[in-house]
Amino acid sequence: MLRMLVPIVLLIFLVGFSVISDRPQPPADLVFINSSEVNTLDPQRMSWMHDLRTARLLYQGLVQNDVLSDDFSIIPGVAESWNLSDDGVTYTFHLRKDARWSNGEPVTSEDFRYSWRRAMLPDLVSDYVNMFLNIQGAQEFYDWRQTKLEKFSERSFESSADRQEQAYELWIETQSKFDEIVGMQAIDDHTLEITLKHPVPYFLELCAFVVFAPVYEPLVSQYERPDPVTARLIRKPGWTKPKVLISNGPFVLDGWRMKRDMRLEKNTNYWDKDSIAIDSILIPSITDPNAGVLAYQTGALDWISDVTAPYRGDMVAQKLEFLEEHAEQVAEYRAQGLDQFTIDRLLPADPRAHTHAVSSFGTYFYNFNCKPNLPDGQPNPFADARVRRAFAMCVDKKSVADEVRRLGEPTASTLIPPGSIGGYTSPKGLPNIGDASSEDARQEIINKAQELLKDANFPDDFIVSLAFNKDSGHDLIAQAIAKSWQKHLGVKTKLEQNEIKIFRDDLKNKQYMTARAGWFGDYGDPTTFLDINYSTDGNNDRAYDSEIFDSLLDQASRELDQVKRLVLLSEAERIITEEDLPLIPIFHYATIYMFDPHKITGLSTHPRTKQNAYLIDVLDDDRGPNEPKPMRHQSDPILEATSP
Amino acid sequence: MMTIILRRLLALPIILLIVYSITLTLAWAVPGNPLENPEKRPKPEVIEQMNKQYNLDSFPRFYVSYLSNATGYQYAKDYFSGQMKRERELSEQLGVPVPARPIFDFGPSLKYDDATVNEIIRDTLPVSVTLGASAILIALFIGVGAGVIGAVKPNSFLDLSTLAVSMIGISLPGFVIGTVMLLVFAINLDWFPIGQWGTPRSIVLPAITLSLPFAAYIARLTRMGMIDALGADYIRTARAKGAAEYSVLLKHALKNAFLPVLSFLGPATAMAMTGSFVIERVFTVPGMGEHFVNAVQNKDLFLIIGVVLVFATMLIVFNLVVDVLYRWVDPRIV
Repeated sequence: MLRMLVPIVLLIFLVGFSVISDRPQPPADLVFINSSEVNTLDPQRMSWMHDLRTARLLYQGLVQNDVLSDDFSIIPGVAESWNLSDDGVTYTFHLRKDARWSNGEPVTSEDFRYSWRRAMLPDLVSDYVNMFLNIQGAQEFYDWRQTKLEKFSERSFESSADRQEQAYELWIETQSKFDEIVGMQAIDDHTLEITLKHPVPYFLELCAFVVFAPVYEPLVSQYERPDPVTARLIRKPGWTKPKVLISNGPFVLDGWRMKRDMRLEKNTNYWDKDSIAIDSILIPSITDPNAGVLAYQTGALDWISDVTAPYRGDMVAQKLEFLEEHAEQVAEYRAQGLDQFTIDRLLPADPRAHTHAVSSFGTYFYNFNCKPNLPDGQPNPFADARVRRAFAMCVDKKSVADEVRRLGEPTASTLIPPGSIGGYTSPKGLPNIGDASSEDARQEIINKAQELLKDANFPDDFIVSLAFNKDSGHDLIAQAIAKSWQKHLGVKTKLEQNEIKIFRDDLKNKQYMTARAGWFGDYGDPTTFLDINYSTDGNNDRAYDSEIFDSLLDQASRELDQVKRLVLLSEAERIITEEDLPLIPIFHYATIYMFDPHKITGLSTHPRTKQNAYLIDVLDDDRGPNEPKPMRHQSDPILEATSP
Repeated sequence: MMTIILRRLLALPIILLIVYSITLTLAWAVPGNPLENPEKRPKPEVIEQMNKQYNLDSFPRFYVSYLSNATGYQYAKDYFSGQMKRERELSEQLGVPVPARPIFDFGPSLKYDDATVNEIIRDTLPVSVTLGASAILIALFIGVGAGVIGAVKPNSFLDLSTLAVSMIGISLPGFVIGTVMLLVFAINLDWFPIGQWGTPRSIVLPAITLSLPFAAYIARLTRMGMIDALGADYIRTARAKGAAEYSVLLKHALKNAFLPVLSFLGPATAMAMTGSFVIERVFTVPGMGEHFVNAVQNKDLFLIIGVVLVFATMLIVFNLVVDVLYRWVDPRIV
């Protein structure tokens, strides 16, 4: 009989041992969650929004965006000041003397040269390499290295030892090539001169992007070496581990357990550490949308940075109900120009007020395949802009936004969310049946669209397919759009649902007719959205090829006068949203946050949706000034005081 | 006994090789390029070079290189051929230290840039093992208890109700039970935390949820075995000699009835300990189960093979352990 207990005793022993050996993280001042696990903490490699959000806590670039100001202005970061030459191509950054790495070493101009060189290497496959190629010589450097690598892999070698040695030599040669041709000069430790190949009016915006933040060379270079077979620089993981990572931002990495949690501690060597009102941040990995909301309700979380639970539409509806109950006060506060989070804080405490729908710097749209022929070789009716216009007019965007999404998102008639980029005037876009003020106006739009189809000889029995990927409710949106087209244009439709990888492959290979898509801007310039429609752009899934559009973007890139430049870009956007319609903008995204406005302050309501979590102050704790931080208007004196 | 252990251990690498071949073939056939970030595509020539670097451009090359890295063959080869020494010298020339290199290298994760597959398994497997072991323990207590009760008075109300409960345990999916448990015990009653793995309290809910299907199966096995045993001659003999009822049940009958449960425990433990995607999602347990699903979706080849090999090894080892225990508990089996 006792023998039978042996497996049980073994199991008990196992459980006991592992429970004892596992320690949870100590509590933190601020606990927030991202919607998924961090992929990388290497700034030059990242592109996911949650990675960037986390990286902004750990690293700091030359400059930063003032996310709490209405105009998202550029304020000093590691650079305390900068000048731009009269021809608009040479920036001289003066780095502050007290900017330090978390190990106490000073941040120097060499650190930026090293880090940006990393991003410019084809080896690293930085998702944002194109942004770096604005720098003089960068494109040549990239191409040179790429050609060398290709040649290397075709060459034959005497022995593997010889091959390896050659790979190392090529790497050393590459480093001196960079010094030779790329326009980044370290005048001294604290003066960095950057020469662009042509004026880039939004270059400071790029510098504020965390992909342009520096990494610590003595550490990172230890983990990079040429692959003996391909000579590509291989990036070994390891330097982003807790206690190993050396960074220059407001926080340092104290713990990171895969799929479990990440813990950050205030960086005692950060130059502006006194402005940080929290000492520690815990980021548990709660990726299940429902579990995140439940955990918030038990009080385990302070902020959910992206609520994706299927019932979030109801949460937003409850919030609107709450605002409705206090309509008078809300109207009064809005008239005073207060931002939404401040208004929420001034209203009485209510659990419904913890949900916040914040407009995002992104747009949901439908792609048209613009190629002359469909994948099966038949002529593609969508190659005709008239057909695309007709289909775009007959998507009931309002019902998609209000009845399917239910997050209070604004319908979109442009690709770039209006009002998100200072000084830029959005075009009007095509009239849409959802926006029609009356039934007559609606019918007029439908008639117009049907006429367009007739003019274009749209084939009668043609079946329009809508491709989308599983999950996230794309199926419901596709159904609504298909219904609009069936009803108003009398066309047959077919829904095509696929796994994300297959869906993406189909887009890339243009194996589709119409397909869902979305795009989020990276920096505060219209090109962050418009570039994806440039004929040769890698993200031009539509195979859209317009000489006029391309030439407008080209002209804009040469235009020195920012006002004229924005006019050119606005005209380019007008072409794609009023005439050619390679895509149908459906709505501008909102991100749903959960936090208690009476407890958390320092989050931004700016439509660029970039949060710098180190600005957060937990009200009524014993750290920081515990003062609410409302959004500041351009004319606020406090802003003028901090401007360079 | 020794021969059986030896034979199984010898078969282990062969089975693993077969599992590896099948897994890789299937994973290779999954469409999509694992190196592509869907939103920002690198240039085709860069992709080509990366494919070359990871041997993703040729199935046979990948097959051989992964195998030689994962088995430690490459490590041994580089060690004895002097390659490692050369690498060290070159690093010294460049003035950088040589990064540590594991003997059994399962490769990089293509999705999680900052982690190797070895690290992912190292971080997540202990969590899954803890949870799985607790679940199997709970399943044993519930299952054997319910089975014995049911067998003592077959077709009584008590029997039928335990049967009904075990049917529910088998049929209800984990995410339903899990969500209900969370709502009742974590939100309404506030007895257990949500989303904080690491304290004994946080193991309770996921372990119970994970245990239910196993418990149900064990209950049915025990009940069946007990009913069989209670009708046997040696039980009548035991009762005739005046043994107490509890001793008849637990000592004489259960000993035989437990054997099928024991053989079920092998695969069940391996299954429970390698994690469950659903349970991990619902209770935010940082275990290995998620990778069985997500790695395939991301076409993270190295990670897929890594977790499958771990699972296969555990399955074989636990079956072996059970076989050994089996013979030890019941010496009639040779």
